[in-house]
Amino acid sequence: MLTVALDIVTTAALLFIISSGLLIVFGVMKIINFAHAAFVTVGAYATLVGARLGLPWILVLPLAFVTGAICGALTEAIIVRWLYRRPLDAILATWGLGIVIGQIVTLIFGREVQFVQAPITGTVDLLGVDYSAYRIVMIGAAVIVALVFTTLLNGTRLGLSTRAVIMNEMLAQGLGVDSSRVRLITFAIGSGLAALSGALITPLSSVDPNMGLPWLISAFMLVMVSGGSLMTLAVSSLMLGGLQVIVSTFVNPILGGLTIAICAAIVLRIRPEGFARA
Amino acid sequence: MISRALLVSLALVAASGSALAADPIKIGVPVGLSGANSVVAPSVVQSAELAVDEINAKGGVLGRQLTLDVADDASGAAGAQKAFDALVFQKKVNVLISMETSAARNAGLPIVARGKTPFIYTSFYEGRSCSPYLYVNAWVPEQQVPPIVDYFNKEKKATKYFLIGSDYAFGRGMLSFTKAYVEKTGGKVVGEEYLPMDGSDWTPIISKLKASGADAIITSTAGGAPNVTLTKQLRAAGVSLPYGNLAVDEGTAKSMGADAAGIYISASYVTGIDSPANKKFLAAMSKKFGADLKTPNDLSVPEYEGVYAYKAAVEKAGSTDSQKVLAALSEVSVEGPRGTIRMDKQRHAPLTMYLGQVQSDGSVKVIQSFPNVDPGAQCPPKS
Amino acid sequence: MPEVRQFSQLAPAPLGLSAKWWMVPLAVVIVGSIALAPLVLDTYMVNILIRAFFVAIAAITVDIVWGYCGTLTFGQSAFFGIGVYALAIIFTEYGFGSWQALFAMGTSVVVAAGVGALTGWLSFYPGSTPLYASIVSLVVPIVLVQILYSGGTFTGSSSGLVGFETFDLELESWFRLAGLSLAAVAVVALIIMRSDTGRLLKALRDNDERCSYLGINTSRYRIIVLVLTAIIASLAGFGYAAFGAVAAPENAGFTFGTRLIIMVALGGRGTIIGAIVGALSIEVASAYLSGSLPYVWELIIGIALIAVILAFPDGLLGAVGRLGRGILPSKASATTQLRPVATADTGPAGSEVAMKVTGLGKHFGSLSVLDGVTFEAKRSELLSLVGPNGAGKTTLIRCLSDGRERSTGFVAIAGHAIDRLPPDRVVQFGLGRKFQAASVFETLTVAECLRVARTHRARPSPVSTSTVLELPAAAIAVVERSGLSDRLGEEARNLSHGLKQALELAMVLALEPEVLLLDEPTAGLTRAERQAFADILTSLASRDRLCILLVEHDLDFVREISSRIIVLHQGKIALDGSVQEVVDSSLVREIYTGQQAAACGAEP
Repeated sequence: MLTVALDIVTTAALLFIISSGLLIVFGVMKIINFAHAAFVTVGAYATLVGARLGLPWILVLPLAFVTGAICGALTEAIIVRWLYRRPLDAILATWGLGIVIGQIVTLIFGREVQFVQAPITGTVDLLGVDYSAYRIVMIGAAVIVALVFTTLLNGTRLGLSTRAVIMNEMLAQGLGVDSSRVRLITFAIGSGLAALSGALITPLSSVDPNMGLPWLISAFMLVMVSGGSLMTLAVSSLMLGGLQVIVSTFVNPILGGLTIAICAAIVLRIRPEGFARA
Repeated sequence: MISRALLVSLALVAASGSALAADPIKIGVPVGLSGANSVVAPSVVQSAELAVDEINAKGGVLGRQLTLDVADDASGAAGAQKAFDALVFQKKVNVLISMETSAARNAGLPIVARGKTPFIYTSFYEGRSCSPYLYVNAWVPEQQVPPIVDYFNKEKKATKYFLIGSDYAFGRGMLSFTKAYVEKTGGKVVGEEYLPMDGSDWTPIISKLKASGADAIITSTAGGAPNVTLTKQLRAAGVSLPYGNLAVDEGTAKSMGADAAGIYISASYVTGIDSPANKKFLAAMSKKFGADLKTPNDLSVPEYEGVYAYKAAVEKAGSTDSQKVLAALSEVSVEGPRGTIRMDKQRHAPLTMYLGQVQSDGSVKVIQSFPNVDPGAQCPPKS
Repeated sequence: MPEVRQFSQLAPAPLGLSAKWWMVPLAVVIVGSIALAPLVLDTYMVNILIRAFFVAIAAITVDIVWGYCGTLTFGQSAFFGIGVYALAIIFTEYGFGSWQALFAMGTSVVVAAGVGALTGWLSFYPGSTPLYASIVSLVVPIVLVQILYSGGTFTGSSSGLVGFETFDLELESWFRLAGLSLAAVAVVALIIMRSDTGRLLKALRDNDERCSYLGINTSRYRIIVLVLTAIIASLAGFGYAAFGAVAAPENAGFTFGTRLIIMVALGGRGTIIGAIVGALSIEVASAYLSGSLPYVWELIIGIALIAVILAFPDGLLGAVGRLGRGILPSKASATTQLRPVATADTGPAGSEVAMKVTGLGKHFGSLSVLDGVTFEAKRSELLSLVGPNGAGKTTLIRCLSDGRERSTGFVAIAGHAIDRLPPDRVVQFGLGRKFQAASVFETLTVAECLRVARTHRARPSPVSTSTVLELPAAAIAVVERSGLSDRLGEEARNLSHGLKQALELAMVLALEPEVLLLDEPTAGLTRAERQAFADILTSLASRDRLCILLVEHDLDFVREISSRIIVLHQGKIALDGSVQEVVDSSLVREIYTGQQAAACGAEP
């Protein structure tokens, strides 16, 4: 029982970390970035490079974040900037970008599956249950991510500008907020976060050019259901992620993979704002 | 004048003769360059390349050089259709020699039949794939499973087995044979779980494993990636039960690093085989590939032997005509790193099997060996 | 006797194709090429093209749903996959034979239609957004693939199904069968898309809300389109599997679905031909190039997609078309006739109540936008609704036209209570609503816009475009007065603001409404246009006996034409009376200027 509970919390943590980048972008710009999966992959490969260079994990994580942020900034400037009025086309264009990034990664690193050693191995004894230490660390990582970005949003000038742009862009512009700079920075941060999550999941899975794709759909659905708030995302990750684990464990792991998508679609049908408050 | 005409005509004859002789024999290699098999595919291609180089250096087959055409089957059915189509109908290869997932193989067989191309399948698999165009020089469950289960029963006193696999023909086929064998030898199967071939999150299955009270695990996943993710996650969850992996090869085990230590495998090839043929093979591979060498393993060595089997069959048949080659394949034998291989048991081959355990440096220590294990009745002739 | 006026426009004749001289030779060439090609092309190419033809059929369905109806759909691959697996499963379980083949085809159609209907019901409901519909279309193939994965040996799971016996045709016969099927689907699709029904679909794409307010049940149309395209896509999948003898989960998945979209985007959405060009090019190029340039080919596709979305939204065909339009002479015009409809006798003058509102309220939690609004309006009344910004005027209009909007109260239009009905039903009671910003169909011509506006009264034909357009006299009057009659063939997006407003009014009048709601109709009009408008409204009220409710800020305009004014303030009716009463009222002055007004000379 405790194992299942831990599975739920750690899975939710993982989903939260991966979705948070997508949420930040969607919340500010109402654009779905389908290249998100590719940024996750970029982060994972950055980790691979870091590991090959012999860097310690303390440096690998920021390396991944920065790589993702740079990719994100470039994406916003070159592609997304022109598509704010055409959100469906933005989905397509970023999907195209995802393909491009995937192929470039393949050209550089090859198609094979690669592996990165976990920084923390072994298990931890929690109340009589041996549980993967690294997965427990994920919970901590998710909390840190949530705290950092909430502080960023609520405690800094940039965060204030961002929230202003989210609420009423024209007014914010009229008050002197450079909304294009806000968008650029937000997209960069969201992408950096995606890359960071890619780096964090490498010890638990493999590194290959298509690794981000299964996460894209779940992240996308969670973001849709969460509206624009990180808090709601945390709650959705816990609820839907938890449901996924329960179905996987007690019914069928294959059907478990479906739970998030189906539940999110149903929730959105009933309440188009999702779990967000009005 | 006469001498000049003679010279010219001699030159012409020589030219046309060499033109005929220069017509290469094409070997098609559809393999999983991407997808689940992408971890092992490079080693398979390397084996094929070495065999082709060696044969060409000695004058080729019937005076003709061999060429290789590699195509990516994406380790799956849809990709295999495209790869086989390209090789059989566009490149018009004379033979297909390759290792692939069962999904890919099954999808390719109808194309092979339509193109009437011989297909030497060099991968171990779940057995019972019977096409008049298909020959197999790798093991089937009847050869591979008993050593592991017998060992666990006897030495590890295992009675409750938990089976984990990838959900496709190979995974299910291997584990259903295993389940039958476990029950036949007095054991019990307390769990049987599958994930799709590209699944990578084994968490709920591992939790079930721990709850089941099993004292041995047997797994049969697709190719490289699922093996690695499963093993990593098992170790991360602290599972240290006797672990028999029916589908891992030495190369993949090496790339798993320390996590792979302790895994039991049953294979028809390990690099540690102490025979002159194997030593010669390993030396040649090192020389050709140097630092880029991918560890030869139970999926790549049969490829090497498969190319030689084809050479022998073509020489015996005297031509590359499909029907003649197919008939000859069951009569020729190859002396390879795995010993003497002859695909004469209903197009499958008796093999020497080795039970080994992966060491912490990734190498495999041989615990027991079983010479000349029969593949059983894989393709009984229809009466 | 009805007068028939003739206007020239670029309208295609019946069957959307007209007696163009090159139709028949083109058909012969196409059929001939399909029949002869297998003899000329090599086996590999024939193989690829057969598969490409079936994929192109699926691409056409994506174009219909996306290019024409405006829903970005990732899910057509799911229907393709249903066809693939219906065949594979039935042939595996029951062997091959004629009853099995019919059973498989029937299963494919029925299951695809069912899943299509379910998907449509989930995606298209009043209030859904295009984004949500896309999301649902994304989820469908994922769910289907997971179901396939969990099906064990029944569906073959990750391996798929192979080895089942299937139709034994020669390669050349397969080619002809696939090629002719594609041609047939393309022809039917072109005919329908060029007909009035096709225009209607484009109208749905351009402006769903306007369609609702023209009495069109947009959800029903979209669901029907989805079900029909699902059936076609499943039959394409059926053919694909019948040829290839392999069923793999990749045939049903999300990646294939996005691949179809890419094909349509690159070829040119909304043209049918574009889908075919895109599908065939990508399938063939992919087969040849992915072997020799594996990574670079996919890279090219990704870059092409981005380039197309950013710079060439119309795809390859659009770019070619733009070139062609520059070079080729414009098409000869055909004529469209506008004919007045004989309107039903409107009955005794005066007394009917056209609009009855009792206790209407709209609340957001504790915030009241409207409260206790009660009034009646009769036919021939021209009623103006005035009030400062934020008084709730547009909200009131919304509550009158959409039964789901109000929180409390009762509304009846032309004697029918609107309950909680959506706008398309309310419009059918006899309501017309004109929006504040001119709400028309940007990519349709003026004549086509008007045709769509008549949908509710006269069903559009699925195979032809009408050359005669019947409109009520009031609509024709607006068309002629505004000068639109000279521009029937022009696309609505090229019209000036004033003309767009006139077009929208004509469209709304085409509904033959009894009640007309107008939201700030004179905003942005010139003086002359405003005068013309005033004349039109007064004649609508007096001659056609419409009940008109007008929200306006231009108080001069209001004073000139209204027979009655309602003043709204902070969600409540402050005053309801004749023009004189309201103009003289000090309360009104107070409301507008926010202070106690001086006794005289206070100009609003």
